[in-house]
Amino acid sequence: MKINVMTDVLEANDRIAAGNREVFDRHKNLVLNLMSSPGAGKTTLLERTAEALQGKLRLGIIAGDIETTRDKERLEKHDLPVVQLNTGSACHLDANMISSALPHIDLASVDVLVIENVGNLVCPAEFKVGEDFKIMILSVTEGDEKPLKYPLMFRESSLLLVNKIDLLKYTNFGLKEAKANARKINPGIEIIDISCITGEGIAEWTAWLSGCYQKKFGTNSRA
Amino acid sequence: MHEMAIARSIVDIAVAAATKGNASRIVRVNVLAGQLRGIIPAQLIFCFGLMAENTIASGAHLNLEITPLIGRCRKCEEDFPVEDYSYFCPRCQGQDIDIVSGTELRVRDIEAE
Repeated sequence: MKINVMTDVLEANDRIAAGNREVFDRHKNLVLNLMSSPGAGKTTLLERTAEALQGKLRLGIIAGDIETTRDKERLEKHDLPVVQLNTGSACHLDANMISSALPHIDLASVDVLVIENVGNLVCPAEFKVGEDFKIMILSVTEGDEKPLKYPLMFRESSLLLVNKIDLLKYTNFGLKEAKANARKINPGIEIIDISCITGEGIAEWTAWLSGCYQKKFGTNSRA
Repeated sequence: MHEMAIARSIVDIAVAAATKGNASRIVRVNVLAGQLRGIIPAQLIFCFGLMAENTIASGAHLNLEITPLIGRCRKCEEDFPVEDYSYFCPRCQGQDIDIVSGTELRVRDIEAE
């Protein structure tokens, strides 16, 4: 016999993600799902962001990594609430992993929660975790054709940070081509050039964050 | 390896549907997979076989129907196939495009006995 089903394969994940989202909204957290390749600069960006947001918005982090607590150790130096999730062999974070991390972070003391996904341009784009926005980093050492090779992630992201632009002159990365490729996949994507080493673009990035917080909660900060 | 997580969900959904329909063995699972999902059929079918072991879906055939990426222009409402992941309306060159098909990942139906 034939049985009609018509169920979304990721429905169970999406349901848990919606539950996470309710918890975040209740705690007045703006939540970003940060994705990139390994080594694109996610953790360094968060270190710079923590410095730049000091006295404005309080940052909290859930960091996913296959192994080690190195990211947590780096981030804790900035006096942030950080939870490290070791995914074992899993290549992405899913809503259930985030749900299990929530008791370990004081959400009431956080304004902007960044979920630092596992370094990977494919799998993380598939799984909602309860975020307001997906955002991604592409670093200039990776190549300007990446949006065309990994379209789902670029399509799903609201903001693209092009990192390591201080290294542009040492690479054959075409900044214009990269942006054109990203906009071909996602015409509405916002793009900011940054360097976590020189600090270029960091103010623009934190202004984007503050703008999102303002839009969601109608205020600049909770303080 | 997100195919493994997807395969596990497909097995869970199929087994739940069969159990609800009082079936004791699943023969075939029909899944709609949008082109934008980038599913690699051989890999998903392999993972499905592993996840189905020791369930009533063991030995079932996973049939994947890849649905093409279709966009709809918000300005002129033209539907068009999105080729080469290029989100531009071929009629009015509009860039404000909704995706109407090609992102789904859904268990459509199962055949069971």
